[in-house]
Amino acid sequence: MKFISKSNMANLLLSAGLMFTMLSGQALAGPKVVSGPGALPSCFAPWAKDTTFLQWEKRKGPYKIAVVNGFVGNSWRIQMVQTVKAYVEQPEIKAQISEFKVVSTGTDVAAQLGAIEDFINQGYDAIITIAVSPAGFDRVIRIADRNNVILVPFDNILDTTDVMMVNENQWQMGEMAAEHLIKYAGKSGKVLEIRGLAGNTVDRDRHLGFRSIMEAAGNDFDIVEVVGNWDDGQAQKVAADALAIHGKFMGMYVQGGSTGAVRAFMDAGHDFVPVAGEAENGFRKLIAKHAKDGLIGLSMGQTPGLGAISVKAALSALAGNKMPQLIAIPIPFVDHTTLKDGVNYWADLDDNFFTANEFPACDVNISAVDIMAQTKEDSH
Amino acid sequence: MINLRLWGSQNWRLLLAIVIFALIYGSYSYMHPSGGTNRLFVQNANEIFVLVMVSMAQTIPVLTGGLDLSVGAIMTLTNTVASEVVNGSPSEILLGIILCLVVSSLCGFINGCIIVFGRLQPIIVTLATGAVFMGLALFIRPSPGGNVDSDLSFAMTFDLNEIFLTYKWPLPTWFESTVGLIPTPLVLILIVVFAIWLPFRSSVTGRGCYAIGSSMGAAYMSGLDVDRSKIAAYTLSGLLAGIGGLYLALQTGSGNADVPQAGAYTLNSIAAVVIGGTSLYGGIGGVIGSIFGAMSLRSISFNFRVFDADGPLGFIADPLLQPLFEGTILLLAVSIGAASVFRIKNRLKLFG
Repeated sequence: MKFISKSNMANLLLSAGLMFTMLSGQALAGPKVVSGPGALPSCFAPWAKDTTFLQWEKRKGPYKIAVVNGFVGNSWRIQMVQTVKAYVEQPEIKAQISEFKVVSTGTDVAAQLGAIEDFINQGYDAIITIAVSPAGFDRVIRIADRNNVILVPFDNILDTTDVMMVNENQWQMGEMAAEHLIKYAGKSGKVLEIRGLAGNTVDRDRHLGFRSIMEAAGNDFDIVEVVGNWDDGQAQKVAADALAIHGKFMGMYVQGGSTGAVRAFMDAGHDFVPVAGEAENGFRKLIAKHAKDGLIGLSMGQTPGLGAISVKAALSALAGNKMPQLIAIPIPFVDHTTLKDGVNYWADLDDNFFTANEFPACDVNISAVDIMAQTKEDSH
Repeated sequence: MINLRLWGSQNWRLLLAIVIFALIYGSYSYMHPSGGTNRLFVQNANEIFVLVMVSMAQTIPVLTGGLDLSVGAIMTLTNTVASEVVNGSPSEILLGIILCLVVSSLCGFINGCIIVFGRLQPIIVTLATGAVFMGLALFIRPSPGGNVDSDLSFAMTFDLNEIFLTYKWPLPTWFESTVGLIPTPLVLILIVVFAIWLPFRSSVTGRGCYAIGSSMGAAYMSGLDVDRSKIAAYTLSGLLAGIGGLYLALQTGSGNADVPQAGAYTLNSIAAVVIGGTSLYGGIGGVIGSIFGAMSLRSISFNFRVFDADGPLGFIADPLLQPLFEGTILLLAVSIGAASVFRIKNRLKLFG
């Protein structure tokens, strides 16, 4: 063991003091870029081969963690919030967290940036967020780094490589939808594409991924594009309009609001066609019921459990583990052949429930029933 | 000598707005672990700035008895323009800033001209032009992004010290620990008030805006140039909304033609004007009240971040109930301003 003399000790203290002033002053702290592999790769899989790894200084728990949601007002967001709340109540997670807060800031980017900065100023250790806009976070990232706070955008992520982010590969999801339609409906004909909320990365990437396969050489599709804003009511309306104008489609890709979109086909007396859609319980119920009539469905989920997995990723980073800068969660999907009541859809639960919630690889297992219980308690 | 009683009776709406703000913001700073520090003031000043500017922009047309539904769109359009032009060498940046302010003033000027020369209702005109401005913004910036000078961005969104540090100017020590701690956005608001609003209000054109709002017929018969005042009101409104949009570009380092956000700013600006004590019928109030109105409005949601979720009032902090409570508090704040009707002796006065 090395002996530290008094003068060395004084030097150490001095440099520690200097370090402190630097941290509280101008110097940028934040993560180091390191080489992999990272912790728990089966859950925190790097997005691509060239994804870098980030490492923060290990610090002592329990931690203060905040979730800064953007707008609240569709069932996915509500379920996301409920899932995170249920997750941090689990005993082994609860032991690691001293304070936990969730706020929703609406669609205003200034309000969201302010809320993130506020939690930094309150001394929180990690902040999980769904970004309102893919750009505009540079300033708040600099402040987070200055204060050594871990910022984890998920779902709608940022166009940056400076923070750790968690998502499912939306591009790949679009590709899977295209492959499903080509497999079951052929290489040509009229296809309906119902897009999501304009202007964010999820909608853009799913759309571009879908088009990259559909418009590849050898295919001859006539794609009718409408916007359903990931909402059952709106998707049903625009699908009905498209059916009224175009008469007949041989397949459909709907980014969200799939139950409504399929209902529009049924209401119009249109034949069932191959459909790729989201993971709403209602959509899966319809596939289970009508697969034999031709509703060849692929249902893949942007899981509301992403928030819970992001909390887990933040805890892992706070413990000093190496983490991929961009984490890809495996895409949970089922098709008409693999649906099973009580396992990946629930015939007796609400249509609006998002089915993909269990991630054994991440040790995040919050069953449908747990979340519904949480929802019910809160509405009383 | 100023007659305090008279001043109070003429400005009770402003005083009320200040009290509402002090209550809402006070409870937040009290509960916040960094309450009262320069860091928190800087953060809050940043959060309120854009809404303060847009609310000031809304106030002036409201004073003339109109309403401007395009303030959010002008703010957004300027934001997207700024994300294209506010970069490069210092002179290019300066030119870019001037261009942004010219564009936004021009938008307001167009509003004013259509309203005056088209003899149309402001609410319809600005609804239409707002859609046009939003379309232009989407055309300039179909997807969020852009390039805003990062030094300027950092310098303007912290305290005055940061300006010196960013540009490596010598920083006097007395300054660093006193004036230097003042958040830059607050200084910018003061500059706008003293350099733009107060001179305008004391000018004939500015007083004309109040006169038109009180009674357009009387203003016209008194020989005031009604058209000039109205056009000036909308132009100035455009300029102020533009300052907001420019600042948003600095704050986010980018531009974003975000349609829901533009709508939210327009609606919130009207709420801020009302909390600030400006009458929607026109003729009464001023932008200073709206500054406090906007700050109160923003501070409501600040409180959700510091509320103890396990405390007796923890249910207020439920993320799914936050919009409900935000709306309720807003309704209360607006109602306090209307409480004076209880003191009215004759109901006919309500129509006067």
